Amino acid sequence: MKKSVVIIVAILILVLSFFAFTNTPFFVKAYGSIRNGISQIAGPALTVISKPAHAIKNLAITYTDLINIKKENMVLKKKLDDLLLENQKIPELEKENKRLKTVLKLVEQNPNSLIAARVIGEDLSNWFKSIIVDKGKDHGIKEKMPVITPAGIVGQAVEVNKWHTKVMIINDTNSSVDVYVEGKTTRGILEGTGKTVLKLKYVLKNDEIGIGDKLVTSGKDSIYPRGLPVGIVITANRSRPGIFADIEVMPFNNFKRLEEVLFIKR
Amino acid sequence: MKKIIAYGIIGVCVLTIEASVFSFLPLDILKPDLGIPLVIFTAFFLSPQIGLGTALITGVIQEIFSNAPHGAMVFMKISLFLIALFLKNKVYIESKYSFSLICSGSVIIESFLFILLSYLARGETGNVINILLYTIPNAIFTGFFSIFMYTLINAVNLKFFSED
Repeated sequence: MKKSVVIIVAILILVLSFFAFTNTPFFVKAYGSIRNGISQIAGPALTVISKPAHAIKNLAITYTDLINIKKENMVLKKKLDDLLLENQKIPELEKENKRLKTVLKLVEQNPNSLIAARVIGEDLSNWFKSIIVDKGKDHGIKEKMPVITPAGIVGQAVEVNKWHTKVMIINDTNSSVDVYVEGKTTRGILEGTGKTVLKLKYVLKNDEIGIGDKLVTSGKDSIYPRGLPVGIVITANRSRPGIFADIEVMPFNNFKRLEEVLFIKR
Repeated sequence: MKKIIAYGIIGVCVLTIEASVFSFLPLDILKPDLGIPLVIFTAFFLSPQIGLGTALITGVIQEIFSNAPHGAMVFMKISLFLIALFLKNKVYIESKYSFSLICSGSVIIESFLFILLSYLARGETGNVINILLYTIPNAIFTGFFSIFMYTLINAVNLKFFSED
């Protein structure tokens, strides 16, 4: 193939991807089908790779613990080292056990409405915020299903394949959630900023809201059911020009530390 | 074709590992674009067909493992490939360090390309602050990782495709 032909093909792909980006229905549909087909292959690869990656992570934690314990126990007999090595794994297992028990409790309370999934990957780019979980179409997951943890909401399913699901986290710049202040009538739209802190928009300056107020989902956005905890108000600035207050919200979940999540069946 | 598949597989593996392993790191800032070194390497040192194939595959895989809008990553990777192709005879990469510098520069170009694409295609650049915030850290980390990527890809190239 000549260089000029390659350039023409490249420009053609550029034009097609540009139209897909503009959300032209025909291109989005065609492009989405191709991308879905490819992700059916990439999904199992991620599942396979995430297992040794988890093992490496556990190994790294165990190793760090080992160094600390060794410093403290230099005087102890060498025979005890093997035993200590085993013991170091227990706190980590206990933590996991505790976390899983909380998830299990929630699933047991709502056996037919929740699907548990494990986080196996994260968005490749820091421009967007999403996670990839190990459950897909085969497990009953559908697009726009709300995703939560026992602490609060995580986001919504945006792409579902046979093997895995991509979940857009609420701190993504494309995410917005209709919320209200717990115990009050104040409502607003919680938007992602791409950072840890979220912005609560369209709250009037004379609305009843203050630092420490808890936000819960209102159920009016047709995605998240009513009453799910979202976050806590950390700043409420009324001195800026305009009719709306400038409010920042810290989500209840730490999205960088998610291990298991729950999908709410719709 | 054999080479396109080989570099495509390298791209899939590297990006899959990145999606899985980097989720354990608590810092968002530590996210290099490992597709760029592949695209730059193939565009500069191999035939245009391999470069195009690699750019397309890495773009699609990045979109699969990201919440990026449809077509965005493919558009940027193909654009970078075309820019690299035009600069092929004008810029000389003599070591892995100059390669790293070009990869870092490509990250900055990619960021501005995305902002431009958002503005042209949708008339809005809502994510612009977020993108600009990460541009320099991304360029630094991509440059750093591309030193290792250069060694890896060069080793694969010499071992399996040196007769070409």
